[in-house]
Amino acid sequence: MNDTEAKKTLTGRDLINIGIYSAIYFVVVMAFAMTGLIPIFLMLLSSMVALFGAIPFILFLTKVKKPGMILIMSTIMGILMFLTGMTWMPIPVAIVTGIIAELVYKSGNYQSLSKAVITCGVFPLWAVGNYLPLFLQRDAYFATRQDYGEEYADAVMRMTPDWMIIVLVAGTFICGIIGGFIGKAMLKKHFKKAGIA
Amino acid sequence: MGRRNSILDPRTKLLLVFMEAVFVLATAGGERLYVLRVIFTILPFVLLITSRNYKTCITGIIVLIGVTLLERFVFPMLTGMLSYMLLTVITIVTRFLPAVLMGTYVIRTTKVSEFKSAMEKMHVPDELTIPLCVMFRFFPTVKEEMDSIRAAMRMRGISFGGGKVSEMLEYRLVPMMSCSAKIGEELSAAALTRGFGISRKRTNICRIGFGVFDYIILLFCAGTIIFWISGVMI
Repeated sequence: MNDTEAKKTLTGRDLINIGIYSAIYFVVVMAFAMTGLIPIFLMLLSSMVALFGAIPFILFLTKVKKPGMILIMSTIMGILMFLTGMTWMPIPVAIVTGIIAELVYKSGNYQSLSKAVITCGVFPLWAVGNYLPLFLQRDAYFATRQDYGEEYADAVMRMTPDWMIIVLVAGTFICGIIGGFIGKAMLKKHFKKAGIA
Repeated sequence: MGRRNSILDPRTKLLLVFMEAVFVLATAGGERLYVLRVIFTILPFVLLITSRNYKTCITGIIVLIGVTLLERFVFPMLTGMLSYMLLTVITIVTRFLPAVLMGTYVIRTTKVSEFKSAMEKMHVPDELTIPLCVMFRFFPTVKEEMDSIRAAMRMRGISFGGGKVSEMLEYRLVPMMSCSAKIGEELSAAALTRGFGISRKRTNICRIGFGVFDYIILLFCAGTIIFWISGVMI
């Protein structure tokens, strides 16, 4: 195998790294997602995922040197969301946002830390996919919840006018960037010292 | 087939997880599929019994009965914010419990190599299968690390009760991530010494195949899907 080819294809070590960091990322995200049981927090979830998930994610980015790794991790997140009952919609969303994140980080040659911070903003957009059924299949979404009474439907309706999705995307992106900066500081302060970044 | 500790093929189990996600968690099909949904709720309990996970099964049944009682007797008496919160809890438990139990059953009874073998038979690319395998192998490790760090930090007074959020992040997440990343590197080194990095196609000694129970469940799932689609068409 020559040098250029070795740089492009994913080796077993890379695949194991994806698995390990997906696990860490998912555990961290889930620890905070548990607060989403309260209706108000439900809307803040994707932003919280972005903010707190950025630290493990930026650590993952230091291991990413080849195309495809971010996309695979994103796809796995989509599949996990499907398995935890967010319908099939997060999967295509996660694939698309994964490709965008991949391109952003690639433009920095998989090295640039400032590009890594922007990638931290783009990557967690997969979490917005979880809300899509709420917006696209509004009737179906509420039809299955009729037995909860008008009060419940109204409360959720009020919180989710159509323009809300833009707010969610923007909020997630901004929180991701903030998280990225925190993550970058953590990299410098702790992980470099511990010899893992 | 005595050496297998479950009566189902890994592929059937994956299909069941899929069915739970679509029909119980996401409640596809609405009211029309109510009876089928009840069957899908009962199914994980039966499977847990067949794999001798009695404790999990009984805990699940107790939780389910408790929630049903709450819904019947306590819920009509409440009003306003309190009923709203109770409703959220009830919905989440009744929806998530079957899927969580099914997930527990699948993870407890499927060996990693069985899963790998099943994914290979379904022609899922290695790029997706290997990270998934590693991830499920790694979840318990991350949780263990998290617990021990929580215990150590509580000794220093850093916990949800008194601590600040920033402190929590720095002193709990960071050590947890450092530990896990280190362990991950060891894991990867161990796998590589066993010939994992080799570019040739790997073999697998697991023999998997469909049995009678698999066909029964496959037929049932197929029936459910057909019934669901016919409902959507009309």
